Amino acid sequence: MMKLRFWGVRGSIPCPGAKTMKYGGNGACMELRVENRKEIIVIDAGSGIRELGNTLVANDLPNGPLRLALYLSHTHWDHIMGFPYFTPIYIPGTKMTVHGPVTYEDDPLKDVVGGQMKYRYFPINVGELASDIEYKRLREEPDMDLGDGLLLTTKFLNHPITALGYRFEYQGKIICTCYDHEPYRNLFITDPDHPEYDEAMAYEGEEVAQEQNQAVEDFFKGADLLVHDSQYTAEEYKSRVNWGHSTYEWAIAAANRAGVKRLALFHHDPDRTDAQIDEMAKTYCEPGKYGDTEVFFATEGSEIIV
Amino acid sequence: MEEDGAANRKAINRFIKRMPSLSTTVGKVMEICSRTDASPNELNKVISLDPVLTGQVLKLINSAYYSLMNKVTSLTRAITMLGMNTVKNMALSTAIIRSVSGAKKSKSLPTKKFWAHSIATGVCAKLLAKANGVPVMECEEYFVAGLLHDLGKIPFGDEYIDVLEKVKQEYLPLIDVERDMLGVDHQEVGRLIAEKWKLNEAMTSSIAFHHDVEAAPEEHRVRVAYVGLANMYANILEFGYAGDPFPAADGADVMLKITGLTWDMFGEVATEVEEEIEKAQVFLQS
Repeated sequence: MMKLRFWGVRGSIPCPGAKTMKYGGNGACMELRVENRKEIIVIDAGSGIRELGNTLVANDLPNGPLRLALYLSHTHWDHIMGFPYFTPIYIPGTKMTVHGPVTYEDDPLKDVVGGQMKYRYFPINVGELASDIEYKRLREEPDMDLGDGLLLTTKFLNHPITALGYRFEYQGKIICTCYDHEPYRNLFITDPDHPEYDEAMAYEGEEVAQEQNQAVEDFFKGADLLVHDSQYTAEEYKSRVNWGHSTYEWAIAAANRAGVKRLALFHHDPDRTDAQIDEMAKTYCEPGKYGDTEVFFATEGSEIIV
Repeated sequence: MEEDGAANRKAINRFIKRMPSLSTTVGKVMEICSRTDASPNELNKVISLDPVLTGQVLKLINSAYYSLMNKVTSLTRAITMLGMNTVKNMALSTAIIRSVSGAKKSKSLPTKKFWAHSIATGVCAKLLAKANGVPVMECEEYFVAGLLHDLGKIPFGDEYIDVLEKVKQEYLPLIDVERDMLGVDHQEVGRLIAEKWKLNEAMTSSIAFHHDVEAAPEEHRVRVAYVGLANMYANILEFGYAGDPFPAADGADVMLKITGLTWDMFGEVATEVEEEIEKAQVFLQS
């Protein structure tokens, strides 16, 4: 059994307020508990991680020092900004491993994540933390054995910097994340009359895009729960191509093709109001309307058990 | 001679260890990379015309991103999978590193002419493959294989001047003179570089066997033969200069047989080869 709880569901920037009360205004963060596993898995350190930290200190710390594994989808600010406010990192005895990808030219993961804990930005320096934190850079890799029967597969996604999707598998149950992610597309000029047109590039660009989209779907194939980027409507996407995010339509169609059982639409745009989501839910979440996948909008504080 | 050979190998190994890249296209790469409106096509083109940079970028991509080696085999693939920014950054930093680290200027092989030869070989291999029905997607890899085939000549030092001189005076195939005077040839050195840069087996084979096609691994032999023929074509027609104006002609028949090409087909693609090379010349102007 695995239990996933949403502590933050927003993309880009936290947006608390009257218009986001229902679905939540905190940035990306999830807690994943795996049956019989002492270590608590946290996915992403958006602003939602603050409340998670407080809850862990209140409920879990009394049972002994915290063992945590943080998996970062990528290092854009909305996915790491909560890190300095995660109370367990200040508590002696806490052991945490921070996993995540690093874009080629960037510094080591410790500097990228810890870089926001410099006196210039924050009153405490990353070197002053009382907990024991280890940083581990991840690449694309299948079936990593995390122990206790838990397997992890990582997959590179399409985003302006390196981003990873995670696939956790335990006793035949699968939970996947696929954000921040935009469908791959042919980036090369396809108009034969264009002066820069190159047949081979146009052809291979198309082939690779299709192949990569298929690879992403294979990655979350058969998932019991898929948490997928869906920041934009199809209309909004037209002016946001290459920003690295998906549409509702794409997420739903891809999940269906891959035989996903439940799809959590995630990484809501900060401008998306509760009323707008409720309205869209009438269409997108209607059972059976878009295939067999059960579709819902991720809501802060909600829990899913698989 | 054996002692000389050993000393040469040592010197070459030392060089390969700290080997930078050629610097001819650095300016172009920097210009493209600094423009926000550069198209993926432009980026692809400017990098792919520089054999050393192409090799380095692919090497970086594979080592920086993937656990499995040789996964990303073309720039088109790299740009689609990792995006313009990442590939730009890789190319730019690679180019900068090599320009500041002061690439060794070869007295024996002038960089621009060496380059022109590499490009001509790449273009010719690609167009011959295309004319002979090789799938479009694979043709680009023939181009890269052609571009990189002579990498092994770069580490040679001043002793190479004597080698090139002897080739000219006695009308000999370069590789024979290399073996005779240096105890090591550019295929062997090229293989070392290919290994250092973790190029895939198909490319490595083109570098290591383009003068000994029959010794190439069977699965790559056809591509190596295309590169071997393209190399011969570029040498004989003097597109650029890579020190081998009198290649051994006896390998040609074997390569024609392996590829299924005829001499007539060279005539058919000649104009297109020249046009493509002409286009590529833009990138050789510093």
